[in-house]
Amino acid sequence: MTTALQPGVVGAPPALEAAGIVKHFDGVLALGGAGLSVRRGEIHALLGENGAGKSTLIKVVTGLVAPDSGEIRRDGEEVRFSTVRAAHGAGVVALYQELSIVPTVSVAENVLLGEETPSRGGVVSWRALNQRAGEQLARLNQRIPLRKLAGELSPVQQTMVAVARALATDARVLILDEPTASLTDTEITDLFAVLRRLRDEGVAIVYVSHRLEEVFELCDRLTIMRNGETIVTKPIAETTIDEVISTMVGRPHGLLYPARDTATSEVVLEVSGLTGSRVADVSFRAHAGEVLGIGGLAGSGRSELLRLLAGAQKRVSGAITVAGHELPHSLGVGRALDAGIALVPEERRSQGVILGDSIQDNIAVANLPAVSRAGWVSNRAIAKIARSALADLQIKARGPRQAVGHLSGGNQQKVVLAKMLSRRPRVLLMDEPTRGIDVGTKAEIYRLIRRLAANGTTVIAVSSELPELIGLSDRIVVVHEGRVSGEVPAADADEETLLSYCYGRTA
Amino acid sequence: MASTEAPAAVAPAAATERTPFSQHLWQAGTVLALIALIILFGALRPEAFLSFGNVRNILAQIAILAIIAAAQTVVMVVGDFDLSVGVTATLAGATAAALMGDGTSIPLAILAGLVVGTLVGVVNGVLVAYMNLSAFVATLATLTSVGGLAFIVTGGTTLYGMPESFFSIGQSRPFGIPLPIFFAVIVAVAVWVVLRFTTLGRRWYAVGGSAEVARLSGVNVRLARFLAFTVAGFLSAIGGIILVSRLGSASATSANNYMLLAVAAVFLGMTILRSGAANVGGTLVGVGIIGVMSNGLNIVGVSTYFQQVLTGIIIIAAVTLSALKSRDR
Repeated sequence: MTTALQPGVVGAPPALEAAGIVKHFDGVLALGGAGLSVRRGEIHALLGENGAGKSTLIKVVTGLVAPDSGEIRRDGEEVRFSTVRAAHGAGVVALYQELSIVPTVSVAENVLLGEETPSRGGVVSWRALNQRAGEQLARLNQRIPLRKLAGELSPVQQTMVAVARALATDARVLILDEPTASLTDTEITDLFAVLRRLRDEGVAIVYVSHRLEEVFELCDRLTIMRNGETIVTKPIAETTIDEVISTMVGRPHGLLYPARDTATSEVVLEVSGLTGSRVADVSFRAHAGEVLGIGGLAGSGRSELLRLLAGAQKRVSGAITVAGHELPHSLGVGRALDAGIALVPEERRSQGVILGDSIQDNIAVANLPAVSRAGWVSNRAIAKIARSALADLQIKARGPRQAVGHLSGGNQQKVVLAKMLSRRPRVLLMDEPTRGIDVGTKAEIYRLIRRLAANGTTVIAVSSELPELIGLSDRIVVVHEGRVSGEVPAADADEETLLSYCYGRTA
Repeated sequence: MASTEAPAAVAPAAATERTPFSQHLWQAGTVLALIALIILFGALRPEAFLSFGNVRNILAQIAILAIIAAAQTVVMVVGDFDLSVGVTATLAGATAAALMGDGTSIPLAILAGLVVGTLVGVVNGVLVAYMNLSAFVATLATLTSVGGLAFIVTGGTTLYGMPESFFSIGQSRPFGIPLPIFFAVIVAVAVWVVLRFTTLGRRWYAVGGSAEVARLSGVNVRLARFLAFTVAGFLSAIGGIILVSRLGSASATSANNYMLLAVAAVFLGMTILRSGAANVGGTLVGVGIIGVMSNGLNIVGVSTYFQQVLTGIIIIAAVTLSALKSRDR
């Protein structure tokens, strides 16, 4: 057993150690000297904000991504994993929530997947297969019917099957990425019992999670990353949740945000009891000229909230009122647009623009009523709208007929904006308005948002970048697991408060 | 689709964007292939191939294919495809023929054929757009069932006994040009106008470009896909009825072969646009290639079996070339 202050096996070299890992993607620094050191017999939390570099680091130590430089040591010996298979061979296995099992084959086959299938002369020996799979599951104290299809199992059972498979390949370092995201409380308790058991058997476990309470309940030590660097590694017993949050935050404000003070007291959008997939009982008001920021972790329901408002997703209950008029229950994007709500979606390339089509055709799709009469489209009207949008938003293109796929990310985003702004919306919803955009264009889009607000538009922006949320908004609402977990005026907001709301610690 | 509809030969938009010459060659490739075929057969058998009678013959042969390929074009513009256009044409023609054989008036029988074909399109549209079946599964199922219905309607035999005046639709020659050619031109122009100048056409192209982008832009994607299949059913029925009139008889499989040829024609036509979208102009070029090849090979004396083999090879070549082209981009 381990003690709180010196968890894991201390005398021996670490089960897995990564040091000075540097990795660029397309010239952008993803990891700049990241490290991780996990001992045998400990559960080690890997923490950091979205984009801090956790996933990249995991990909490096499991052979999915080759680092530019840096060292990886397994039980003290330097190793180089060129493939996932090589990492498996050295006993390093990562489990991802979605990709872990094959739903259409039996539990037993899943447990032994990737191993030599027991067979005699090419015919599968089911008895041997089931027996060996059963042994692995028994190690985890799990009673799961071996012949059942894995897809019919509950989420926790599927996780267990994935863990059993990792153990079957003799994993000594087990990396779990958000394993509890879809589990209930009792299932989480089950999973934790299994993980503690494995720890006591000497397995090194890396546990990646956004749920800090769980981390403090389960883990022995933690490593915090920020901006692609490892900031600190320390025993859980020597820190607090608040300290962890303030370590995870702490980037300088790198951008100039335009001045606020355009908000009025005129209520334009009123949402009450809004409920749908991943969104539960959300109520708030937004005013003319206001920029309302929506914060929350990935998967918190922030994007779904915008999609519900835009009519892009089915509403279960609740009311949406725009300028005093309640919108019909079965909304649909077309009706929402007619009512003055427009959405600039999260995924630009798959949701925002048709890459093969021209700028003007992309803009026209959302503006057919304005460019047609009795079903007949006027190409002249389309060109006119497109030309004024190019000038208005300073889109850098050869002309309105250029294919959107040839534009830079920032200019593509401007085309999406142009498409929606041509509808002259009263409420503009923006999901991650500056994702994947260069700094210069970011500042342009911030100014544009504030210009719209000054003209009386209500802007509601979701962002996972806290500095952006604070710099851009007048007021910030934070959602956690589909519910509003906090609301602050941006002038009083700091990243620590917001992040603690993001983690569901209500004020 | 102002920039995407322009035939490759003119393509003014492409020129202002400094498209490299090789790109033009790619796009013009399909048109050049058609011209090359004409020159080839013309050189091999100038007296038989280039005669007025033979040209008229080719046009008459491809008129019905052009109509059914226009139907397929509409469905492929929205990013789906319809395996049932051939059997739908067959069933529509057989229905009209059977009713006329039983003494129903010509206009009423034609109307019934059109209604039946449109209904098949409605069923396809409901299955694909509202019940979320893949177009492949849905239209494969209707291909099978509608094919069976055609056998039931004809009783498995070939139907004759339609009134003489009905035959004028497919066989008369105003100004010496077979009437089906006029019908084909009307259908092609109508589809072209709808695709290019109406909000419906814009919606269809947007859905084909990206259904999710279209939906988030306020387009009723389900309705658009439903209408595309419905229109395809209606147009196929027109083709099927004209075919019965031209042949003077209706069998249980008379128009079935047109499905594959129509798909081939649309694929060939998609290569002439940089965006690779289905378009009427390109489809007509594709129809021309298929018609000229079939006719020319007949004259040269190649068997119809071999022509079928060649059709498959041409589809593969066209799709491979357009894939290469989009990879270059």
